[in-house]
Amino acid sequence: MNLLPTTSVGSFPKPDYLKRARTQASRGEISAKKLRELEERATREWIRFQEEIGIDILVDGEMYRGDMVTYFAETWKGFEISGLVRSYGNRYYRKPVVVDQVKRAKPITLEWFKFAQSLTKKPVKGMLTGPYTVMDWSFNEYYKDRRELTLALAEVVHEEAVDLEKAGAQYIQIDEPAVSVRPEELPLACEAMGIVTQGLKAKTLTHICYGDFQKIYPGMLEIPVDQIDLELSNSDFNLFELIRKTPFTNGLGVVDVHSHRLESKDEVKKRIEQALEVFRPEQIYVDPDCGLKTREVQEAKDKLRVVVEAAREVRKELVASKPVA
Amino acid sequence: MLTLSAVSHYPKIGDKPEEQVLRRAHGQLDRKEIDEAGLERIKDEVTRHALQEQVEAGLEIVTDGQIRWDDAVTYLAGKIKGFKLTGLLRYFDTNTFYRQPVCEADLEAPDSLVVKDFQFANALSSVPVKALLTGPFTLAKLSKDLHYKDFEEFAGRLAVILGEEAQRLARVGATIIQFDEPALLQFKKEFPVFKKIWTKLARLLPEGIETVLFLNYGDLRGLYPQILEVPVTAVGLDLATAPENWRLLGKSPFTKKLLAGLVDARNTKMETEEELHERLERALDFVSAENLSLSPNYGLEFLPRETARKKLAHLSKVVREFREAKVKA
Repeated sequence: MNLLPTTSVGSFPKPDYLKRARTQASRGEISAKKLRELEERATREWIRFQEEIGIDILVDGEMYRGDMVTYFAETWKGFEISGLVRSYGNRYYRKPVVVDQVKRAKPITLEWFKFAQSLTKKPVKGMLTGPYTVMDWSFNEYYKDRRELTLALAEVVHEEAVDLEKAGAQYIQIDEPAVSVRPEELPLACEAMGIVTQGLKAKTLTHICYGDFQKIYPGMLEIPVDQIDLELSNSDFNLFELIRKTPFTNGLGVVDVHSHRLESKDEVKKRIEQALEVFRPEQIYVDPDCGLKTREVQEAKDKLRVVVEAAREVRKELVASKPVA
Repeated sequence: MLTLSAVSHYPKIGDKPEEQVLRRAHGQLDRKEIDEAGLERIKDEVTRHALQEQVEAGLEIVTDGQIRWDDAVTYLAGKIKGFKLTGLLRYFDTNTFYRQPVCEADLEAPDSLVVKDFQFANALSSVPVKALLTGPFTLAKLSKDLHYKDFEEFAGRLAVILGEEAQRLARVGATIIQFDEPALLQFKKEFPVFKKIWTKLARLLPEGIETVLFLNYGDLRGLYPQILEVPVTAVGLDLATAPENWRLLGKSPFTKKLLAGLVDARNTKMETEEELHERLERALDFVSAENLSLSPNYGLEFLPRETARKKLAHLSKVVREFREAKVKA
């Protein structure tokens, strides 16, 4: 693998034809088969694009997923999906409800992983949502408390991870965006992640966003994954300062280098160079900020291009300044 | 004698198509099929509906459902001059967000923050409407101050603005005003500052009205009984998911009216009637029925509307049974 390999957090925007088709499918105007064809087409397009611009670790872009928790919850046993609740503004979502023991009836992500991996020789990441986040984003009507539900979910996510690994996944990302919300529950999130990643040989990652790192750093370094993907560009305060005080020793950091606008290549390079002051080069993977699914297709492509070009240039400079022994 | 009260917000939409007018209206506004005035009329309509549902569910003190509020912060701060609204931040430990206000200049209040909303709801309602404000400490904590550069001065300015709003509310007929101060439970060590800010606010509070300090997103550990020194007539607490609050109430006499959040508004799981009866009896150990109001522990917007209705009806049934038993006795 290159120094400073490039990847992305997970989701890409759905092309307009797919957005339309999803609406039509929800009204029963097109068949599930037709929708599936369009999801595959969009996945092919994103894989091809990532190959074209030279991304090192690919994602399938999640053309077939809506919400990152509901996607799993609606297939697992023990869940029901609630009525609509508001998240902010005019955005509403159906929140999963745990009404019985959670169990996995069948693999959820396997088929799409195999499909995406069949389209490229480069590694495709397996993408899962972590047990702590699924717990935090669901109503719990069945388990005694948050801990019991989280640990039950950890077993189910672990089964999914094992299946992905068997199918050839070299990288498995288990996202825990909720982990920074209640710092006192970080040990629980760590314990649950330990169950998920236990015995896996694939490289495991988790992405952390939204939160106040100050509250969970350095405790979050205990999350048992190989790499932690940090949202650096949208953070208000200087995470680098914290890292300087307590260095990242276990495993690799992945760096998000993009904010909500399209930055220039030089700005992204500067971010990477800042990161190099506190991380060893081999610790750093480069990717744009939090999932890109809320962007327009063109905007997401532009962002990815800038990230890849910036990483490529910094890589060259690194190699030139420090010849590999 | 024992009232049944709303806390704050009510779900803006439900699952039936006819319950989703507000959601659709935002889309219509984006497509320019309606204008801002059209959207306002729809918000009026949804407010009317929320009032009606609360009364039907048996609430004896209702709110306007905060249908116009995006969240506890943005709606108020957006009306105060000197604030600029910025990016989305998570609201405490919920899955909801607010726009962080940044204070860049002297804060100036408009003629009214929520007076018109209160008047509208009050005119429609057959039962008392509680006016709602977010407290100065919480507003200040969730904002960023680049101007006053001193928390006490910044929050103190907000206290004056909110106190003057309370006076306006009282003039148009409000008899109950609730201030939500969840941030206190996250910053307990700052209670001395909190008290100073509230002393400033209390000087402006009109005589003879009920003032409620609502405290959720945590428990009172470390703040009880000191919290009773805050000059309000009633305190609202989470007594559904914060067991420590029960223990504390037993430690020292509760000297104010109690708004007891007995029903969990953040989980769809229904309490059993036995549980609710038991919690009601327990609350009566600490305050008399005259000084007790029952409510959910949070506003109802965290629940799907159907579940919100069920939870209210459930609590209402328990209160009815309690009263019938009293009459018989």
